[in-house]
Amino acid sequence: MSAILLAVGVVALDNAWIALAIVGAVAFLVYIRRDGSPWNRSFNLSLRIGATILAIRTVVGILIGVPIPGTILFRLPILDLPSWMPGIRIGGAVTLERLSSSLHEGVIIATMIALFGAATSLTSPHKLLRVTPSFIYEIGITLVIATSLFPQLAVSARRIRVAQKLRGIEKIRIRSIALPLLEESLARSLQLAAAMDARGYGVSRKRSRYRPQPWLMRDNYVVLATLFTVGVMVAQ
Amino acid sequence: MITFSNVSLIYPQSTQTILEDLSFQIAEGEMVLVMGETGSGKSSLLRLINGLVPHHTGGILAGDISVDGISTRTVKPGSLAHLVGIVGQNPVNGFVTDIVEEELAFSMEALNFPQDVMRKRVEEVLDLLSLSGLRNRSIATLSGGEQQRVAIGAALVMHPKVLVLDEPTSALDPIAAEEVLSVLHRLVHDLSVTVIIAEHRLERVIQFVDRILYIEGNGETSIGPADEILKRSELVPPIVKLARALNLKEIGTSVREVRRQTEDIRNRDFAHVAAKKNVGSVAIEVNRVSHSYSSKKALSNVSTTINQGEIVAIMGRNGAGKSTLLHTIVGLHSPDSGVISVNGVDPTTLKGAARRRSIGYVPQEPSDLLYAASVEEECAQADRDNELAPGTTASLLNRLVPHISQHAHPNDLSEGQRLALVLSIVLSGNPEILVLDEPTRGLDYQAKSVFALALKEFATQFNRPVLLATHDVELVAELTDRVLFLAEGEIVADGSTLDVLLSSPAFAPQVAKIMAPKPWLTVADVVEALGQER
Repeated sequence: MSAILLAVGVVALDNAWIALAIVGAVAFLVYIRRDGSPWNRSFNLSLRIGATILAIRTVVGILIGVPIPGTILFRLPILDLPSWMPGIRIGGAVTLERLSSSLHEGVIIATMIALFGAATSLTSPHKLLRVTPSFIYEIGITLVIATSLFPQLAVSARRIRVAQKLRGIEKIRIRSIALPLLEESLARSLQLAAAMDARGYGVSRKRSRYRPQPWLMRDNYVVLATLFTVGVMVAQ
Repeated sequence: MITFSNVSLIYPQSTQTILEDLSFQIAEGEMVLVMGETGSGKSSLLRLINGLVPHHTGGILAGDISVDGISTRTVKPGSLAHLVGIVGQNPVNGFVTDIVEEELAFSMEALNFPQDVMRKRVEEVLDLLSLSGLRNRSIATLSGGEQQRVAIGAALVMHPKVLVLDEPTSALDPIAAEEVLSVLHRLVHDLSVTVIIAEHRLERVIQFVDRILYIEGNGETSIGPADEILKRSELVPPIVKLARALNLKEIGTSVREVRRQTEDIRNRDFAHVAAKKNVGSVAIEVNRVSHSYSSKKALSNVSTTINQGEIVAIMGRNGAGKSTLLHTIVGLHSPDSGVISVNGVDPTTLKGAARRRSIGYVPQEPSDLLYAASVEEECAQADRDNELAPGTTASLLNRLVPHISQHAHPNDLSEGQRLALVLSIVLSGNPEILVLDEPTRGLDYQAKSVFALALKEFATQFNRPVLLATHDVELVAELTDRVLFLAEGEIVADGSTLDVLLSSPAFAPQVAKIMAPKPWLTVADVVEALGQER
């Protein structure tokens, strides 16, 4: 929840420095709340994906695009494009403004990904399922299958990579990892769904709580504080 | 309690019926074992009982199945949750929550039980399965046996009349398996729960069951009292093999029964045959190796040497450090301290083709190594990797298990066939040592003996060492020369298979239990000793 609100705030505010600060804060939060479950890894993974996107975005931003006038840093050779592609050019002068605007956009996107990564790494899909009301049973099952897939993918991918390295396969081929991976995660998800089905999930419209987690005043404060921050960010 | 009448099952896009015209009845409080080769439809049969087949998996069902008077055809599996508890092969994949207590309560929450009832039942089950010490633990941190007990507990809170278990002990060490089985035994006798169990390792369960449902390879099924079915079945535990070899009048299912019948053999004197093992030169040297994961110590100060041509088993409870030791030997990670050398080379430095030539490794999930679309491609890839003449790997595979369809997808193979495929791929590199991590999980007796033969051939023909981590006592008795016993990351016993297995009652194979104090581990040992006498 907070992650989504914060993400909205980040986009609205459109400021790279604040975005970076938020990533730092979230990273700290993940660090102090980690409990060693396999889900914790997904935050690192999302940071890495974010960094990759940032890099690609910057490079592409420099190479392709509409020229922005300003301080010229260096020049790249201009590629001649056919005349039916007006307004786009590859290469040319790289200005400070252009560099900073592409970096900026990249950071915003990376921050969003990091925020969602943090959210999944702190809530295990199992916990998520328990708060899902059972009248959306079909959606609930789909949700669990989908969310349990991602972190387990990370764990299994590591294991498969290790096994193949020991077979002497040094080059990482996407196909060689993806196939066993896909097969395994599908089988797992189906097993989980079957187990839930067999244990009566979704039979009764209402469900009781063994240890109800009461909605505390503290939770209200958290929601209010987040809403307030987002409000300020949007208003800016 | 359970009635199958004229049940047939067929999956769409399959030409073969899984089950055909099956009729039987199971009474309340009975414990029934379902046995058959891998892929004979045991799991399908079990899942028919609570309607997961065909409601969840699809498939066409003919005939009728009723559980306690309710037909599974008309009711969804969820509505049978109070009646049938089901525990899957790999309980971890079926857990919905993270904490033991919450997992136990999950079914009741889903069915909207009032809170005070839930509290009471969770307490009951915690006591019944002696789980109360673990109630607030995270499930991921439990051992295999404990997880299996939690899975059984989660089914038991609903007070089901029927409990269905699919290979509940296949991933467990002998002691944990004993724990689980004695719990089941108690449920049957004290609470009159009907238990239906599928298991490959018959030697573990055979003494507990009342009747056996035997699915033969050709689709024929028969049900009857344990000793009657075992008299003519092809899949038999060592205890029955022994009875057959000795021409005993009756086939016993417990150690006690057969011991009574073989008293005279045990009382005779036999010349002790000395072990005739010649000792080769050192192949693997492990010197004062320690390793730990974050804060947990997995190996501490382990030293041993393994010789050429030796087959060595690494045994020990789940989490004793078996896999870590294997991983260190194959060079997956360098140890925190200590030195390992494989034929004089540090295994962590090996790469690519050099690695394939020096170390062959079969991981716990053999399918991790497979990625081609067919058996044929997979074999061709191995030939290319190792610069062999085309068809070498395929012929190797053909020798291990004949009649594998070359065009089959590796996922469609049975467990035994898949293991054979991986084994022939690994062996095609002609490795100097062979390392296997729990290779026989899910294999039936036939597949296992084929596999044991292949390993023996590799070790004797090329005079190269084989190292395997396993829980399978009978396999160790048949196959290995030496056993390393690990506990808490330390080697607590290291000696010939005979000495190590005989010294611990939990790890002794069935024949040894029957023939104690005679030093025989397998049926072949007994026959040989008797033959020499004559």
